[in-house]
Amino acid sequence: MRWGMVIDRKRCIGCYACMVSCKQSHALPPEVFWNRVLISETGVYPMVTKQILPVICNHCKEAACVNACPTGATEKREADGIVWVDADKCVGCRYCLIACPYQMRTFHADKRQEYWPGQGLTELERFGREELYPLQPKTVVKCNFCMERLEEGQRRGLRVGIDREATPICVNACPVKARIFGDLDDPGSNVSKLIKERRGYPLHPEYGTEPSVCYLD
Amino acid sequence: MKLNEWMVKPTQQTEWIEGRGILLLLAFFFIELGAGIFFVATFFDGWTAMLVGWLVCAVVGGGAHILYLGHPFRFWRMVSRVGSSWISRGLIFVSLFLLLGFVHMVLIRGGDSSPVLMVSVNIFAFLTIIYAGFALNYVNGIPLWNTALLPIIYAVSGIWGGASVALGITLFTGEVSTIGVSLEEWIRILLLAYIVLIIVYLISVRYTNPTGKASVQRIVYGGYWPLMWIGVVFIGLVFPTAVVVISLSTGIENMPPGVLCAAIFCELLGDLAMRYLILKGALYNPLIPSSAPLQELGA
Repeated sequence: MRWGMVIDRKRCIGCYACMVSCKQSHALPPEVFWNRVLISETGVYPMVTKQILPVICNHCKEAACVNACPTGATEKREADGIVWVDADKCVGCRYCLIACPYQMRTFHADKRQEYWPGQGLTELERFGREELYPLQPKTVVKCNFCMERLEEGQRRGLRVGIDREATPICVNACPVKARIFGDLDDPGSNVSKLIKERRGYPLHPEYGTEPSVCYLD
Repeated sequence: MKLNEWMVKPTQQTEWIEGRGILLLLAFFFIELGAGIFFVATFFDGWTAMLVGWLVCAVVGGGAHILYLGHPFRFWRMVSRVGSSWISRGLIFVSLFLLLGFVHMVLIRGGDSSPVLMVSVNIFAFLTIIYAGFALNYVNGIPLWNTALLPIIYAVSGIWGGASVALGITLFTGEVSTIGVSLEEWIRILLLAYIVLIIVYLISVRYTNPTGKASVQRIVYGGYWPLMWIGVVFIGLVFPTAVVVISLSTGIENMPPGVLCAAIFCELLGDLAMRYLILKGALYNPLIPSSAPLQELGA
């Protein structure tokens, strides 16, 4: 089993719902993003091209970060291919952050960092960062495909990627269903079919990382 | 550059040079310099130089590396992935170099020495000098680093720096006319090799891809050109080269000590400046190709 995601760039409207929902559900402090929506314009009027690219950790099959990590904090789960960070082992050397060619990792410096400096943390922020989803400061953090939700959903017998309680938050939040989540190792899964039918592609396949996130144009 | 433009334009590497990242630059520099001093000193039984090299590597370099970590007291975990991580391998190399180096120094001081131990120490000293180059080389998203020349440059600069400092130490131990002459020959060859390597490195990275070209332009013509041309070229290469050329006719033992010390100091400054530029000028490939011509970032 290898969990993966397909992002349909033709459907994506750049609403940032995935980015905001991820930030909220994981109580991420400022400058820590597990999900980003990149919008760029290139060219000169009238030949302007606008590109929208939602990006998350690619949970690569041959992850550069896993090989780079000196402590074994970054691991790839053999059961489902999710690349995650064990904060208790992370030493904060940031080599994984440097090694990731997609720049999808962030160094979490200070859990008390405020969105509006001087105004303190709100009750929601304090609850989120200290109780709901505490992150260990001075470690590297990144998207983990909401693995707690997937595990809980599987434990309850739900269908991952289909039932909302067993699907990553960003997939649920997307109003245009531009994100699809499923098992890449199952040729009959929705993600596998989409990649085959619509020629899904990963970012920078020449790196040899074999990302688990593919895009559709 | 606008916030989201990093998807179509190269983006600068910041973690290993901005803010506390400067500690890592110093860590790599002093670890390699210390190992280089020790490596060179073993060939001439320069006990004082060995001690200086050991201390520079262990205390200054190692200390800077530990200080950079988010959780320094967990550093012992960093030997867990020797099979794949260059940082893990580096810690092993440095640890074994320091341990064997200490034993080697004790034996020499006691009038005893072991050729096998000396060879072993030198192997780990060389690995200590070169491992950071491989650690950077592993990052395939940064063309400026992902070149086979980088570990060689680090190796040459580490040994060159070591030879230079060892030469400076002979000024204080009164061995300029003996050991210093041999060290000067090392320095001439290494200086020439370093110049050739830097030129080839910058030219070859420039041809890698547009991001590589932008990295080199940033260093050579962009906002960091003063550091490149004044720091690396003039201070780090031209002045030491001039001193080497003069010493060819006068002999190293007849060179004024002040001039020699200045040349050594300038060489170390230039080396540090080049390493700074390698980290500062590093650009990641954009996530997706842009339809517009790639624009230089500048500083």
